[in-house]
Amino acid sequence: MIATPVLLLALVAAGPGPMPGQAPRSAEMCGVCHSEVRVTFEASVHAVEGIRCSSCHGGDPSATTVAAAHRGDFRGVPRRRDTPALCASCHADIARMRPYNLPTDQLALYQTSRHGRRLAEGDDRVAVCTDCHGAHDIRRRSDPQSRVFPANIPATCARCHADAALMARYGLKASAFDDYSKSVHGKAFLVKGDRSAPECTRCHGSHGATPPGVGDVDKVCGQCHATTRAFFVQGPHMAAMQAAGLPECASCHDHHQVQAAGPALLDTACLKCHDQDSDQVRLAQTFKTLFAGAAEEIDKARALVDQAAAVPFYVEDYRARLEEARTSLTESYPAMHALEVTPVRDLTAQARGIAREVESEVEAKLKGLGWRRVGLLVFWFYLLLTVAVLARFRRRAAQEPR
Amino acid sequence: MMRRLLDWLEARFNLTEMFSLLTSFGLFPAEVDSRRPVREALDEALRAPLPSYARWPRILGVLSFILFGFVALTGLLLMFYYQPTASDAFASVTMIVRDVNFGWFVHQTHRWGAQVLLVILILRLLRFFFQGLYAPPREAIWVVAVLALLVAAHADLTGRLLPWDARGYWTTVRAMELVSLLPGLGPLCAALAGGTDLDSLVLTRFYVLHTTILPVLLFVLFYLHFSSVRRVGLSALPEPGRSGRAALKVQVYNLLILTVVIFGGLITLASLLPEPFGVPADPFATPPGARPPWYLWAAHGLVESFPALVPRPLRGLFLEAILAATILLPFLDRASGRSARGRQMVTAAGAAALLIGLILAVVGYRLEGGP
Repeated sequence: MIATPVLLLALVAAGPGPMPGQAPRSAEMCGVCHSEVRVTFEASVHAVEGIRCSSCHGGDPSATTVAAAHRGDFRGVPRRRDTPALCASCHADIARMRPYNLPTDQLALYQTSRHGRRLAEGDDRVAVCTDCHGAHDIRRRSDPQSRVFPANIPATCARCHADAALMARYGLKASAFDDYSKSVHGKAFLVKGDRSAPECTRCHGSHGATPPGVGDVDKVCGQCHATTRAFFVQGPHMAAMQAAGLPECASCHDHHQVQAAGPALLDTACLKCHDQDSDQVRLAQTFKTLFAGAAEEIDKARALVDQAAAVPFYVEDYRARLEEARTSLTESYPAMHALEVTPVRDLTAQARGIAREVESEVEAKLKGLGWRRVGLLVFWFYLLLTVAVLARFRRRAAQEPR
Repeated sequence: MMRRLLDWLEARFNLTEMFSLLTSFGLFPAEVDSRRPVREALDEALRAPLPSYARWPRILGVLSFILFGFVALTGLLLMFYYQPTASDAFASVTMIVRDVNFGWFVHQTHRWGAQVLLVILILRLLRFFFQGLYAPPREAIWVVAVLALLVAAHADLTGRLLPWDARGYWTTVRAMELVSLLPGLGPLCAALAGGTDLDSLVLTRFYVLHTTILPVLLFVLFYLHFSSVRRVGLSALPEPGRSGRAALKVQVYNLLILTVVIFGGLITLASLLPEPFGVPADPFATPPGARPPWYLWAAHGLVESFPALVPRPLRGLFLEAILAATILLPFLDRASGRSARGRQMVTAAGAAALLIGLILAVVGYRLEGGP
């Protein structure tokens, strides 16, 4: 009689068991004591893929006593210095990673990174796998909750790199994240959500994270700014900067704080190394004049096209041609990095030429509008004539006897 | 030839009855006996004396009706090309004003015609007020004139959204914000318009309101106005040095001359002061200087002039009270017509209200900045 309710209670307490064909809960008996960890872990990608607590921590997950569970190969919380090797025991296994199409070179890359090298030297305050990926809560990189989801990467790096006390130990500034947030890249990535803009790992690497050194900066920036780099390597700056130990692109554009480049930069950047009266500064002003002339012409033509669009005239063709002009002007900015006037002059002249053509054609169209006024005068002449005729009829009607 | 055609038609249709439809509408005030032959009835009607209410300078009513006719006609022409969906509206209006022969002209005269119509309806209302033409038995004339102005303003507002351009879109958004403040009326208007967020559904409803429901309502109100004027007349005009009354035939010429001059005026406005063609509406980008249409600047200024501690629904209630008082003026002010002093006081109060309205309109205009 008493057994029945006890049995029922036991069934309810046990909850629904695994469905037929479904893997048993991955935390197994460990979750009985480590219930908070169990909840976190079961939402992770590892739990879904059948990884068990014992895969990392050892021990006997089926044991029903603490002593029995923490026996055998139980290793508790893995030491930080052992973490990369522990993760690599699966993640460097090509056969194991093949079904997931995951790379297996993370440990090799990590060992070349500033983090990995310091860890090897015995400094276990540097980042290990779990600092960026999490431990029990590891999620796929494509999961927005993952710390390594592209949008979350700057914040993940900032957890250590914005920590002034930690960075001071290594003689590093803790301002990297703040500087990046104010940069053209940071604003595009963090504010506009433009995922084509670089976050930390696009320049520094992820597992192999290392600051690019002198001689490499142009290659790193050139991954995206390929045309600019192509002109830069043709010019005299590259060899001169490498000889002087100056970081190539960053010398003028800064690195974390890189701002949107424009002709205004020519007023300040060149003066960092060259005298105000030097030929180099005069060359910079020549570039600036060429850029400004083309931009002014394009803006003038655009204002006229807007005026014509408000009439409205068909202006899509003019707009397309102005885009062409704008493209030539945009192409002239990277061309400047070769420090040769000719390509810049050619491209800006092309931009100015197109803009002037558009300007004169639109002006002619707008002048044609004046004919509407002439037409209006003719119209009013006939209109007044009609009114005069009607008024005459009206007068005649008023004189008729009733 | 003409006479034979008329006889042939008369044998098959009651032409006099058709003519009486026009006269009984009120645009052309005459009594016609539909049993008589059309030529005889026409001749007699044209020689009939012109009633006092239809004579110069009392042309605001007929002027507004002719303008309504212009706007309706140009609107009909625009409907041939216009497509009332959020995705195609702007492109179709672009086609009308840029590619269709004289499309720009039809579009601009439609726009200008609507604005001039509103101005005339406001002037007519002011005239009724300052001449006391709302006292019994002319209450209906006043109420109908206020309703006609409201309907015309709604027709204008619904029309502003149709091109789906940035300026029209944001003008409508601002106007809807103002309307949504009105307790009771706000939710009702939102329900009629299909919501407070301007989307394709609202555009379709505005299109139906603008092209069918509101013009029909306005037409009916014009009929009611003419009908009531025929019944109760307007006050007699002092006619120094004039004897006898002009015949209706003269009135026909008056109407024709007026029509031609209005036509010329609209064409001049459309040619010299065309409304600039804008960019497509973007619900996520408010252009600078987005404000309600000009006839709501005073209401906008009033609502925003309240101190911040007055809750917005209360401000809406105040607006609603002004609206209700305007419509019900003949029933609220029953005494002023009986004494010269009473009239003077009402006239002074009206002038003060008008001045305050103009100041509030300037305040409302300046609130938004931009052009």
